[in-house]
Amino acid sequence: MEYVNPEGLRLDGRRPMEMRQIRAEIGVVSKADGSAVFEMGNTKVIAAVYGPREVQNRSQQSNDHALVRCEYSMANFSTGDRMRKPKGDRRSTEISLVIRQTMEACILTHLMPRSQIDIFVQVLQADGGTRSACINAATLALADAGIPMSDIVTSCSAGYLNGTPLLDLNYVEDSAGGPDVTVGILPKLDKVTLLQMDSKLQMETFENVMQLAIEGCKAVASYIREVLLENTKQLESRRGV
Amino acid sequence: MVGLSLGEQNFIKGGISQDLRTDGRKRLTYRPIFVETGIIPQASGSARVKLGVTDVIASVKAELGRPNPSYPDKGKVSIYVDCSPTAEPTFEGRGGEEFSTELSSALQKCLLGGKSGAGAGIDLSSLCIVGGKVCWDLYIDGLVVSSDGNVLDALGAAIKAALSNTAIPKVQVSANASSDEQPEVDVSDEEFLQFDTSGVGRHYIADATTAEESQMSSAVSLSINRQGQICGLMKRGGAVLDSSMILDMISVAKHVSEQLIKRLDSEIAAAEACDDDEMEL
Repeated sequence: MEYVNPEGLRLDGRRPMEMRQIRAEIGVVSKADGSAVFEMGNTKVIAAVYGPREVQNRSQQSNDHALVRCEYSMANFSTGDRMRKPKGDRRSTEISLVIRQTMEACILTHLMPRSQIDIFVQVLQADGGTRSACINAATLALADAGIPMSDIVTSCSAGYLNGTPLLDLNYVEDSAGGPDVTVGILPKLDKVTLLQMDSKLQMETFENVMQLAIEGCKAVASYIREVLLENTKQLESRRGV
Repeated sequence: MVGLSLGEQNFIKGGISQDLRTDGRKRLTYRPIFVETGIIPQASGSARVKLGVTDVIASVKAELGRPNPSYPDKGKVSIYVDCSPTAEPTFEGRGGEEFSTELSSALQKCLLGGKSGAGAGIDLSSLCIVGGKVCWDLYIDGLVVSSDGNVLDALGAAIKAALSNTAIPKVQVSANASSDEQPEVDVSDEEFLQFDTSGVGRHYIADATTAEESQMSSAVSLSINRQGQICGLMKRGGAVLDSSMILDMISVAKHVSEQLIKRLDSEIAAAEACDDDEMEL
C-alpha cells in the first residue's frame, strides 16, 4: 500500500513532517485533584490525578519518596470495531507501566514521602499514538494537580514508511507494520525519558526518525506550556490578583 | 467512601427535612443538566451528559448480525456500562466491576424489557433488516467519567441522547435468486432512526449527590416513559421499606420524571441543533 503519494502527501492529507491537530483542556473531571483532556487528531484521552494522599496499601508505603501509580484503560467504544477485551489485558498493563515510569522520572517524589499519587488515563478514542497522548494528558493533569515536577514530559511518535520518516502516525499508518518510534522528553532539560521502537530500522535512518519524533515532542511541549500558562492566567484572574 | 463528620451528616439530614439541601436545591429539584451530542465520531451515535459534577458518556455502535433464531423478526441491543477510575480511585482494576454490573443490569431492565423484547423502550423490530437472516446489533456502551451521585439517571439521559443522535445507514436488500445464503446488503443513504426511551426518576430526594447517597438508607430507581407507564423499577440499599411508602415514592417519581423528560428533550434538541450548525460550517 502507498502511504505517501507521489505529491508527498499522506493518507489523511498531511505532509510527512506534519503533526495532527492537537487540543488540550484542563480541569475536565472536577472531582479529581487534577485532570485534562488531550486530543491528537481523532485520538482523545482523559487523564485524572488523585493525590498526593495517604497510601492506601500500607505495605507499599515508602519513607523517603511518594508512591506513583498509574492505570491505563480503554473505553469499549474507543476503537473502530467495538472492543471486547476484558480490563487489564497485557497491552494496557504494559502501557500503564510505561506511563508510570515516565511520569515518575519527572515528579519530585522525594518531596512527598509517605504519600501516594494516582494517575488514571482513559482512552475515549484510539486512532494511533495513544501512548503519547496519554503521557501528554498525564503531564497536564499532574500540573493541574499542582504536583512538583522537575519539568513537563511530552511525547510524540514517528515512523518510517515508503522510505520517508513520518511524524505522529495515525491508526492506519501504525498498523502498516513499519517501525514506530515513541519518544518522551523533558524539553527544558533536553533529556529523553522514554524511547520505544518496534519492527526494524537501519541505524542511520533510526537517528533521523528519532530526531523527527523529538522535534514533535518539542512542538507538543510549546503547546502544553501555552495551555498551562493560559490556565494559570485564568486562575489568577478568578482569584482577583 | 465518603468521609463525613457527625456535624456534616446532621447538616445534610437537617437540610433535607427543611426542604433546603446543601447545594441550595429543594428536595425534588434536579441539578442542571448539560447535554452534548456527537462527541465520538467513530460511533453511530454518542452523547455526553453532565448532571452537576456527575459526567457520563454513552455511545451507540451498530453492527450487522444474525437475529436470535427464537425471535427472527427482531434486532439485538446490548447495554454495557464501564466505570472509569478517573471517576473514583476505588474503581481501579476490577474495583468498579460490581457497580458497573449493577448499573448495566438496571439499564437493561428498563430499556430492553423481557427476553422477547416485549415492553422494551427500544422497538426491536425496527432493527430487523431481513427476518431470520440479517439485523442490526446495537451496542450501547456507557462510560462513567466523573461520579457525584445519581449516575444511573445520568446514564439513562445519556443513552437517550445518544440514541436520538444515532444515524444508521438505510439498508436495501436485493434478493438475488442465487444460492448465497447471506443476502446481499446495500448500505446507502443515511436515515435517522429515533427511538423512544424513558426517563429515570428517584424519590423523596431526587438526584442525590454522593454525600447525600451515603446518608440514604435505601433508594428506588424508577424508569417511566412518556406515557407515564413504569418500564422498570429497582430498589437499592438494604433497609426495609413499607410497601405503601414505595407506592408513594413511585407517584412522586412519576411527577418528577414528567418535568425531567421535558427538560431533557429541550436539552437534546438544543445539542442536536448545535451539532447540525457545526456540520454546516
